[in-house]
Amino acid sequence: MAVGIEKAAPAQLPAAQEGGDNRALGSSSAGRLVSAAGVYGIAVLFLAIGALLQLTGIIRGFLSLQNMLNIVDAAALVGIVATGMAFVTYSGHFADMSVPTTMGFTGYICIELLRFGFLPALAGAIAVGLVIGLVNGYVVGKFKANPIIWTLAVNYVTMGVIRLVWVNKQIYPDMRGSGQDAVALFDGIYRLRFFNLIGLPVVILVVLVVLGQFVMTRTSFGAKLKLTGSSLRAAKFSGINVERMITASFVLTAFTATIGGLAVTSLSRVGAWYNGAGYDFKAVTAIVIGGMTLAGGRGSILGVLGGSLIIGLLNNVLTLLGVGTFSQDMIRGAIFIVVVGINAKSLRSLGRDDA
Amino acid sequence: MRKIGKNGLLSFGDKYRIYILFVAVFAFMSLFAPRFFNVFNVTSILKAISMNACVAIGFTVVMICGQLDLSIGTVITFAGVIALGLQPSLGYLASVAVAIVAGTLVGVLNGLLVAKAKINSFIVTLGTMTILQGAIYELSGGNSISVSSPEAFVISDFLSKSFLPLITPRILISAVLVAVVEFYLRRTRSGRNFYLVGGNRSTAWLAGIRTDRYTIAAFALSGATAAVAGVFSVLESTSATLKLGENSLMYVISATIIGGTAMSGGKGGVLRSVVAIFTLEMLYTGVILFGLGNEVKIFLAGLILAYVVLYEAYATYKHEKSLGQRPELMKELAARKSASA
Amino acid sequence: MKHVSKRFPGTIAVDDVSFEVSAGEVHALVGENGAGKSTLMKMLAGSFDDYTGDIRVNGRDVTLHSPTEAKKYGIGMIYQELSLARPISIAENLLAGRLPKRGPFLDRRRKASQAKELLARVGLDLDTDLPIEDISQHEAQLVEIAKVLGNGPCILVMDEPTSALSREEVERLFEIIVQLKSRGIAIVYISHHLPEIFRIADRVTVMRDGKKIATKPIGEVSREEVVQMMVGRSVKEFYKREERRIGEPRLKVAGLSRFGFFHDLSFEARRGEILGICGLSGAGRSELAKVLAGLDRADEGRIELDGAPVKSATMAQALGQGIAYLTEDRKIEGLALRLAVDDNVLAPIVDRLSSASIYSKAKGAPVVARLIEELDIYPPDPERTVGNLSGGNQQKVLLAKWLASAPKVLILDEPTRGVDIGAKMTIHNSIEKLAREGCTVLLISSDLPELVGLSDRVMIMRKGHFTREMAFSECSEESLLLAANGEGSV
Repeated sequence: MAVGIEKAAPAQLPAAQEGGDNRALGSSSAGRLVSAAGVYGIAVLFLAIGALLQLTGIIRGFLSLQNMLNIVDAAALVGIVATGMAFVTYSGHFADMSVPTTMGFTGYICIELLRFGFLPALAGAIAVGLVIGLVNGYVVGKFKANPIIWTLAVNYVTMGVIRLVWVNKQIYPDMRGSGQDAVALFDGIYRLRFFNLIGLPVVILVVLVVLGQFVMTRTSFGAKLKLTGSSLRAAKFSGINVERMITASFVLTAFTATIGGLAVTSLSRVGAWYNGAGYDFKAVTAIVIGGMTLAGGRGSILGVLGGSLIIGLLNNVLTLLGVGTFSQDMIRGAIFIVVVGINAKSLRSLGRDDA
Repeated sequence: MRKIGKNGLLSFGDKYRIYILFVAVFAFMSLFAPRFFNVFNVTSILKAISMNACVAIGFTVVMICGQLDLSIGTVITFAGVIALGLQPSLGYLASVAVAIVAGTLVGVLNGLLVAKAKINSFIVTLGTMTILQGAIYELSGGNSISVSSPEAFVISDFLSKSFLPLITPRILISAVLVAVVEFYLRRTRSGRNFYLVGGNRSTAWLAGIRTDRYTIAAFALSGATAAVAGVFSVLESTSATLKLGENSLMYVISATIIGGTAMSGGKGGVLRSVVAIFTLEMLYTGVILFGLGNEVKIFLAGLILAYVVLYEAYATYKHEKSLGQRPELMKELAARKSASA
Repeated sequence: MKHVSKRFPGTIAVDDVSFEVSAGEVHALVGENGAGKSTLMKMLAGSFDDYTGDIRVNGRDVTLHSPTEAKKYGIGMIYQELSLARPISIAENLLAGRLPKRGPFLDRRRKASQAKELLARVGLDLDTDLPIEDISQHEAQLVEIAKVLGNGPCILVMDEPTSALSREEVERLFEIIVQLKSRGIAIVYISHHLPEIFRIADRVTVMRDGKKIATKPIGEVSREEVVQMMVGRSVKEFYKREERRIGEPRLKVAGLSRFGFFHDLSFEARRGEILGICGLSGAGRSELAKVLAGLDRADEGRIELDGAPVKSATMAQALGQGIAYLTEDRKIEGLALRLAVDDNVLAPIVDRLSSASIYSKAKGAPVVARLIEELDIYPPDPERTVGNLSGGNQQKVLLAKWLASAPKVLILDEPTRGVDIGAKMTIHNSIEKLAREGCTVLLISSDLPELVGLSDRVMIMRKGHFTREMAFSECSEESLLLAANGEGSV
């Protein structure tokens, strides 16, 4: 899609350009910290707002431990999925729309396989997720299909498969004659708590974020992915195997989608096709709020974590304010558009076209 | 005068492929599917596609402009819910009008965000889709809405009774809309401008075309046709379920792409998209008539979309690989091969 | 009879410049990158709404604050990047915005006839319903010219029109320019290419650092004087040659073919040698480079490097064996414009700088610093966004990228295209230094003086085959040109 004509002021010679906006944003670790800090700053702001609302009596229960745990638990689910999808976004391929059905599908698979024991069920679900990721990565990487449309198509196909195999039935962990231990372990995915406080999903999220941030900033894979996301052709002509990069990022997304799917399925204790519904959008919103640009090559996993926290906080405050779930959806949609718009505007004023 | 472009037959195939496909599928189904080739069946196919065909009109125009509208499914449901929901208080005429205006406004919003705020259309329409989903549930309280007044049934009957073989008023309305828009796009200057805006935005801008207006208009049309589709659908069935437009996005995207409208913009046509919808629906009906269940149909629909996307991507991939091949060198090669053979 | 004069005092990019061009004249505008010539013309094109100074067209004072206004006053611009819409037909591109109507509907017959008439003005005879993506690049450029002509301009500005053209295509273009002259159109011709300017222009204006240095009739000035004015320093011995020791054959290619692109190429290149590869566009030079670099696969033939066979299925493998390729295009294929200089320079050697997958950018920092200094990249800041650098500096970053990988064989594809004189010299010096250090350089270039000045030998490619090899003594611009066209003594 072509670029619009700029009405530039008479340009100054490149030599005369000054200022921090010439430095590649986020290329220095200082720069990265600043953008990540910005996100957490907003998170703190939300906390402050919530506290304020509580103190003025408008809402109750915000500052309680249980509430905080709820926030973190909810944020963890989104965060897990978003951490993986961030790699796809970082590579310049926007998002993976097949995440919702991947989550539901792997949930089904896991429950079905529980009768063989917990670990085999886990392995099976992860394997299925990886296959979906591989397929996505291959088609988008090698044939350069439009990632949104393709993953949307895969979403429909997986939905079709779910409908074909399980028709409209939901299945329960103890239905298939699975052993008690396996069922308990599965239940525990969501419910296991360390020190009675921190849920397993939260721990998983932290681990994933740490690993993800490390991979993105300190490994050769991360450096190559950054190049791929900034300019796919330049990366290709620098000797980077872009197809492998893209495949890997889609596999990562599918992997975290699987983990997230298992967590959600464990939470609801039922295998259902709607288990992952809405997570594609929630994840993308978290990613975007967290400062990652949709054009690729810029952003951090720490930011994504911050974005998930903000979403969790937002949902929580809205719920306490009595706003209905569906209205919350509306607000989230609006915020999403606003954030992306701001991102796009600020990048354009620095002379770069984005989104 | 050189008539054939360097892609030769490929471009021809591109343009008319859907018509060939249509004939092929029709022939196949008529010959092999039981109970396919009769007036009743064909009419029910036409009825089934009236909704999606109507949506496809606006969606195709958006795609011609090089954009994407993911919100169409929710606009359909949204308009349907409004039309029936407001009916008791406002009466049919007004509620229908409000519904259509509402859909158009959503389209205008999409268009403004894409054109003025310069946000990627996928992002914008994903956002509006989510917002509308919430709105639908809020408005309807989570339940489907139906009307059962005598007037409701009169309208419903009117829309669904064939007054000519194969044609019901609703089908006729959709067909007329398709014809009008297609004609507009092909035979008027402003219609052709849509193609230019999608083909190369800055070229259009430099030629004096107000590209922003065209973009907004395209999205507005998409919202409007989606709303019309939703409204007529609920009028005929006298109820608005919350899943009304659920699968529309999938069907309409597949059909539009199969019909030859490229995601990159500047190419394609409304008639082709509608023919594609017809062809796909024939396929799905055939599946049911062959005795396979509804689940197969959904699976198949997803598979077709995946296939279409893959095909287009693969074709581009192959094309890029062979760019720049010199024909005389290939001839030389052929000569050498036959010489040594 | 028609005169244009403009004065813009006081902006930094264009500093108090007065410029005029008369009807039927070709006035060349030259200067290094950043000299301000493109900005000057952009003002004429209506790209800015805040210039200061006066512009007069045909004796009338005008303000050009938008492209539409510029068009209205008869100013036509032809840029390097074509402004055509690819999926749209020729006719609709030519007549964009003013498709003929009959009542409320399109008049298709007039559309076709008007389009054909426009095409005839540039000597094209094509079906006007063909989409642009179905015609060749050269034909598309002619369509672009036809399109601008269709607005009936009295002033035509051409910005580097020949940079992507073959010799025959340049000839054709010049014929059209001469025709336009005779019709009284005033032409501003921006180019880096001095030989062309001396052929086609009546007057030449040299700009430097935003100021106008001089305007002279073409007969009253020599090439060296023009270059001197452009650069501001004496550029004697532009290509001074030092003795270089040329060693054993290192790269051997036998019977290499990629079907449809080039057939049956065999040659040798030695250590420390600069082997020029000359040919018209479409001869297959870049395709050969891509196969050697591992980007495409050969269909038959053998490649040997230092005695060992080379089988590169990917560019990374070729790099590993020591073959590097500097792409023809620098903005899309060469550099990631959004990233910093160091990210770009280190891109091909990310794996080399990593141990156990842990990437250490710091390890690469000294290399980057050294190259920035060696190539005189300005501003010398490794974290500066490449997209903000001037064209010449961008090209230097691109060269730095491949120098950093310390290759045994470096294939350069148009290394100084669109680059100012100063940067050109730096790049040439760097190439010579590389060869002196023992690297084998394959130089693909359409810049004949560059080929003559740098190469030890030149291979001529034509239509996918090697036609002959020319030793240094045989090389001159004329002989190379003739050979590339398939004429001259075989």
